[in-house]
Amino acid sequence: MSPLTLVVLGCFAYLVFINIVAIVFLVVGAIENSVRHHEEGSADYETLGASRFTIPVSVIVGAYDEGPVIEATVSSFLAFDYPEFEVVVVNDGSTDDTLERLREAFDLAPYEVFVRHVFPTQPVKGIYRSATHPNLIVVDKENGGKADAWNAALNVARYRYVCGVDADTVFDSTALLQVMRFPMSDPARVIGVTSQIATAAEPEKVLAQPPGKRRIDHSLLGVYQHLDFVRAFINNRLAWSRWGFMLCSPGGFQIWRRDVLEEVGGYSTTFTCEDIELTFRIHEKFRREGRDYAIHCLPDTVGVTEAPDVVGKLVSQRERWQRVINETVVHYRRMWFNPRYGAVGMVGAPFYLLTEVISPAVEVIGWAALLAAVFVGDFEWQVFVVVLCAMAFTNAALTAGAVLLDDMQSRLYRVRDLARILFLAPLDMVFYRPIITWARLKGSWGFLRGNKAWNKFERNARAPA
Amino acid sequence: MAQIPRSREGSKRAADDDQGVDDLVLRVAVTVLVVAFASWMALSLVVVLGRIRYDRRTRRPGSTALTSATAARLVRRVRAHPRTEWGRWRRVTALQRLERAHHPAVPQLVRVVLDDEDPRIAAAAIRTLGDMADDWAIDILIDALRRGHGSRSRIAAELEALAPAPGLRLVPLLRDWDPAVRFWGATLLRPYPGVADSTLIELTWDADPNVRAAVVETLGSRSGSAVGTALVARLDDGEWFVRVHAARAAGHVVGAEAAPSLVRLLADERWWVRTAAKDALRGLNADAIPSLLSVLAHEDLFARNGAAEVLQDIGFVDFLVLDNPRSPLLERIYAAGGERFRAAAEARIEGAIEQGVVAA
Repeated sequence: MSPLTLVVLGCFAYLVFINIVAIVFLVVGAIENSVRHHEEGSADYETLGASRFTIPVSVIVGAYDEGPVIEATVSSFLAFDYPEFEVVVVNDGSTDDTLERLREAFDLAPYEVFVRHVFPTQPVKGIYRSATHPNLIVVDKENGGKADAWNAALNVARYRYVCGVDADTVFDSTALLQVMRFPMSDPARVIGVTSQIATAAEPEKVLAQPPGKRRIDHSLLGVYQHLDFVRAFINNRLAWSRWGFMLCSPGGFQIWRRDVLEEVGGYSTTFTCEDIELTFRIHEKFRREGRDYAIHCLPDTVGVTEAPDVVGKLVSQRERWQRVINETVVHYRRMWFNPRYGAVGMVGAPFYLLTEVISPAVEVIGWAALLAAVFVGDFEWQVFVVVLCAMAFTNAALTAGAVLLDDMQSRLYRVRDLARILFLAPLDMVFYRPIITWARLKGSWGFLRGNKAWNKFERNARAPA
Repeated sequence: MAQIPRSREGSKRAADDDQGVDDLVLRVAVTVLVVAFASWMALSLVVVLGRIRYDRRTRRPGSTALTSATAARLVRRVRAHPRTEWGRWRRVTALQRLERAHHPAVPQLVRVVLDDEDPRIAAAAIRTLGDMADDWAIDILIDALRRGHGSRSRIAAELEALAPAPGLRLVPLLRDWDPAVRFWGATLLRPYPGVADSTLIELTWDADPNVRAAVVETLGSRSGSAVGTALVARLDDGEWFVRVHAARAAGHVVGAEAAPSLVRLLADERWWVRTAAKDALRGLNADAIPSLLSVLAHEDLFARNGAAEVLQDIGFVDFLVLDNPRSPLLERIYAAGGERFRAAAEARIEGAIEQGVVAA
């Protein structure tokens, strides 16, 4: 057997293994989804929404050059249907008109607010209060990155639970209530919660449509990003949540108990991105200390985040995601296959290592070796075509499973849109996967070179109102 | 690198091996392809057809009435003790269907579900009780609160939302041996002014700090000198969270007379107590000014800062800037607040004047 054939077989075995794991996660995710669906049916949002026994929440958001979207997103935060909450927006040294737009939209005036400096941050230039929304505070500070901005917001935040959100994400008014029901039912144990977020080129337009009538972007890039997010949440995070190793609370929407954030020292500014690293850090600490805790991911779609509308922006975003995954997984390598860390060490961290860190390289090597093997005659070309189709339809079947569970839970999108994305799912291997693989390879290369740039992409162009 | 020449037989075996691998990979790939394609088709059809069926059903909501056979089946399901999570949730669904159909066995069945060891299942029963909003549901909820069946905060939320208010039926909870029950009893009595005031005042000396905090919070919605005295006494409680509640409540009940005591809390060792004191002083508005001015030169930086911040928030600083920007009093406040405090005040007034000009 030639070395080329051995490489092909190795990569083939890897792909089979990864897909078996994905199927297992889908099945576990289906069970979790079903339980959450039942719980949702028993949740009494009307009573909770009016109750003084709900736990107050500080919504924190960092904004850097978010002028085009900041008004819409902050308005969506302020519209949360929740008894007691505050919104702390940090203008992280924006070079555009973010602060001006906030000032105009929310009638801000400068006030001095004396706070504890629990988390060190870049200097704060000023604090603003809104004449129209007493629960809105805007902090203007020098640029220090998203983690630094969130730490500045934490210094100002007053409540026991903190909800970190992105300035490019708009939310359903019930988002906080839907998610906070978990900490409320067991505040001693539930230290973190997140929930599913959808994507769209213009989130505010999607969210303006009622459930059941929502549209999914028509562009191919929009469709595949939507499917990517659904797969990530439904096929992975639900299973992780059920098995106790929910390792990534996404930056777009994450709720943490404030004392836990204080205990671990807040968001880290030394990593490219803060979300996955914080989740790893909290797991590491709580597992090491043998403490009982839970970090959940819920299947409910609570908001819509802005998806890149051109390939360049997508590559830039995914490259950054890959870098931070590599940074985090490598940094916490002491957890790999370490029984002391329970499911996190034995399943969660190794899963990240095998499927996220090394998979871009294996995928590329596998396909290149198979092509070369066909070229030199080790394999017939039919094998290449059949393997490609098998992978495409395996991926499509997993995607269809995720879409099924998502629709059973939320019933958000139009039937014709669901049919369209399911039809397009097998072509993911042709139109989308190569782009993502390229971005992930770039990210891995950037990680090896020690690149920690944020690579913020420009906001999507919007038609004038 | 020199290679060892293969014999003809060896070459043939190698070629056969390669062919075998090729066939194996092809067979596995074809099998995967067939299974994956069928799964994709089947799941896609389930998504689309399932959704169409769901949309039709929701457009024409069916009757909630049950046939006797269905009702009997559902009652059996609720009474069963399933071991699996799935089975327990089917039990909840059955209870909810019976409740919607106003089945006479529901009061008895809901007690059975409420006893489930899984708090999420018990929570579903609590929700059902809240939906029914019957008088007897209150007794079951209070009993569940006492025994700790289900999340107590959830029970409390349902009790408070119930149309027939529990009122006096909550009073016995204040004498319960369990501090958690006393806590919830005191908390739930807040919307009933005049009910059990003397017992609540006694409980401001409860051994459990959580009970004291709840009592103090509830007394914040009452009035009277006895209540005020009890609240002011708790401003010196040994537990910081009791002092937090006492500060807010005293500001509300006692008013301006509490200001000197509240100002003292601006220098409390706990940050959250200082924050609560600031909130309470803000609530007193102009009545707090004399006390606030008295701590502008306090030795504790946080106390000075806090006093300046409250004077800013109640509008006193803006008044002075407009009235007499060079007043020594304003300078004292600026000295307590710092440079950024001064800059914010000046910018605020400048903005207000500009707005006024634009408006004019």
